[in-house]
Amino acid sequence: MKLISNVEKSLLLTAAGAFALFAIGGVLTTVVPPMVDQSLWRSEFPVHEYTEQEKRGIEIYKREGCVYCHTQQIRHLASDQRRYGWRMVDAAVSESWEYVNDKEHFLGTKRTGPDLARVGGKYSSEWHWAHFKDPRNMGEKFPDRKGIYEKASIMPSFAYLSDEEIKDLTAYLQTLGRNKDWRVDKDGNPLNDYEK
Amino acid sequence: MKQDTAAKTAIIASCFYFGLALTMGLLTALKFIVPTVGEIEYLSMPRVRMLHTNINLFGWLLQANIGILFWILPRILHTKLFSEKLGVATGILYNLTVLGGFACILLGKVKNVEYGEIPPPFDYLIAVCWLLFAINVFGTVATRKVKYLYVTVWYTLGAVIWTTFVFITGNMFSQMPMVTGVNQANLIWFYVHNAVGLIFTPLGVAIAYYLIPKQLDTPIYSHKLSMVGFWVISFVYVWTGAHHMLHGPVSHWLQTVAIIFSFSLIIPVMAVITNFFGTFATAPKSIRMKGPVPKLLMMGTVYYIFTCLQGPFQAIRSVNEIVSKTDWVVGHAHMALFGAFSYYAMAGVYYIAPRLAGRRLYSEKLGDLQFWIMTLASIPFFAVLWISGVVQGYAWLNPENTFVATLAAIRHAHIMRFSTGGLIFAAYFLFLYNVLQTFFGKYPEEVEAAEAAAVSE
Repeated sequence: MKLISNVEKSLLLTAAGAFALFAIGGVLTTVVPPMVDQSLWRSEFPVHEYTEQEKRGIEIYKREGCVYCHTQQIRHLASDQRRYGWRMVDAAVSESWEYVNDKEHFLGTKRTGPDLARVGGKYSSEWHWAHFKDPRNMGEKFPDRKGIYEKASIMPSFAYLSDEEIKDLTAYLQTLGRNKDWRVDKDGNPLNDYEK
Repeated sequence: MKQDTAAKTAIIASCFYFGLALTMGLLTALKFIVPTVGEIEYLSMPRVRMLHTNINLFGWLLQANIGILFWILPRILHTKLFSEKLGVATGILYNLTVLGGFACILLGKVKNVEYGEIPPPFDYLIAVCWLLFAINVFGTVATRKVKYLYVTVWYTLGAVIWTTFVFITGNMFSQMPMVTGVNQANLIWFYVHNAVGLIFTPLGVAIAYYLIPKQLDTPIYSHKLSMVGFWVISFVYVWTGAHHMLHGPVSHWLQTVAIIFSFSLIIPVMAVITNFFGTFATAPKSIRMKGPVPKLLMMGTVYYIFTCLQGPFQAIRSVNEIVSKTDWVVGHAHMALFGAFSYYAMAGVYYIAPRLAGRRLYSEKLGDLQFWIMTLASIPFFAVLWISGVVQGYAWLNPENTFVATLAAIRHAHIMRFSTGGLIFAAYFLFLYNVLQTFFGKYPEEVEAAEAAAVSE
């Protein structure tokens, strides 16, 4: 009790005590994880190096705040893997080494729109173009986007981006999720016919 | 310089930012219903959302807390503020800084840190302002005329120290070139979570620890509980950042650590809450709920319990699977920052404004009305978001539901959020009017006296 009453009389002891208790958890959860788990910052597998154009795309993705509605992580959950898979192939779970070249991480916290971790190559660049221009009316070329999409999609239109900017952004999107080669059918044949 | 100028400027400025932040929130909510509203670059939904969170955190809540503490600290420590001039200078620099930061966000010059979008050099300037505030806090404590430090002072000292490291880690260390990917995400989550937990929680609790016993004219229920609450929160809060990445690509052991400490948080929170309710329960009945101040403190405490019980349960892996990444989280965050800590801050403003102005609060009735509108609107506001989160979380489990169909299923919640949010926004103007009238307005009796004087002349 003497100690406690001394602490309550002393600015130094209160401040030092509050800092010391905080520092234990602070160090163990920020500095120690990358030391223990090296896959947080380096990869044994090849990881895509971004081109200049893709880097410009990343800047646009950041500036336009895409991350506030779109996460970029397939979690260790069957529902995530199935929903963000392709042609009955489950999407591969996202692993930490896949992100080591991301100077800006876009793991995200909220899915107002679908996850984008494995979106690369799923839609043609022409599709993205029409979608950025007007998510609720993509024109006659994409008849499967009629109906509920016109009514229920709440994505903002990014028609104010220049053509160049949309191209850069699309170039970045097309890289997403390709560090793992997961798009193969049951016999191991690549399912890359959708790329244009 | 006149005493309490620093407190006054910060408090009045913060009340205006509160309205601006609510405007941005309402606009975001509207865009969820009618996405084509305001379709220009500067008002695109993500930017408005960033403005909403940043103006709330830095313009309103942090500044209001700083102003309130500038007033409270000298009173508890029976001394003057260490430097009134420094306090005013901090306030001016801080306001220029956050305005610059908000302009950058509007123009799309942002940092990729949630709750920390304000880019350099403005984030560095916020850190400078924080250190100036720290000098004033430490100086005031060092020049005190009382022997013992009261709980409010512990929490303020804690917040000042913790925030310095939390802010620098999230805004500066996370931006270093070798910090990438999931490692960066971990540092940013350390910041985002502790921004709420080690900045706004201790500052809000510090203010409530002063206001509740003062307003109720009753000593704090238990000194031992105060100590348990403070020392346990200093130890356990900081570990929990990784619970935002459950099931995600971060190390499994780190997730488990975060879950365990998220649960430990029940200890300090219950200690604080028992203490607050105990004080309410032992206060004389006639003043327990008189006027807006005790009502806001009581309801803020109720929201504090619920938000702090939701937190640990959301961190359970199986619960997290359903609610994470949905509207649930939005409801949870609003209950913490609006429900609990903005209520404490409004109570502080209502308590201090009349004392700064040297007269009674302009209208207790108006304050009561504002309290009831905000409270009756905020309960459905939070609740529809939780409901919509659970609906969407379960809908996502079935791969037959297209994503857009799961979004269409929660449209009702977005409409409810906008309409109840509109009520909160309307009630805000009652708050602002009441505060401004208290500082600058004419009171009915003054008008009468002036008329009487005019007649007698």
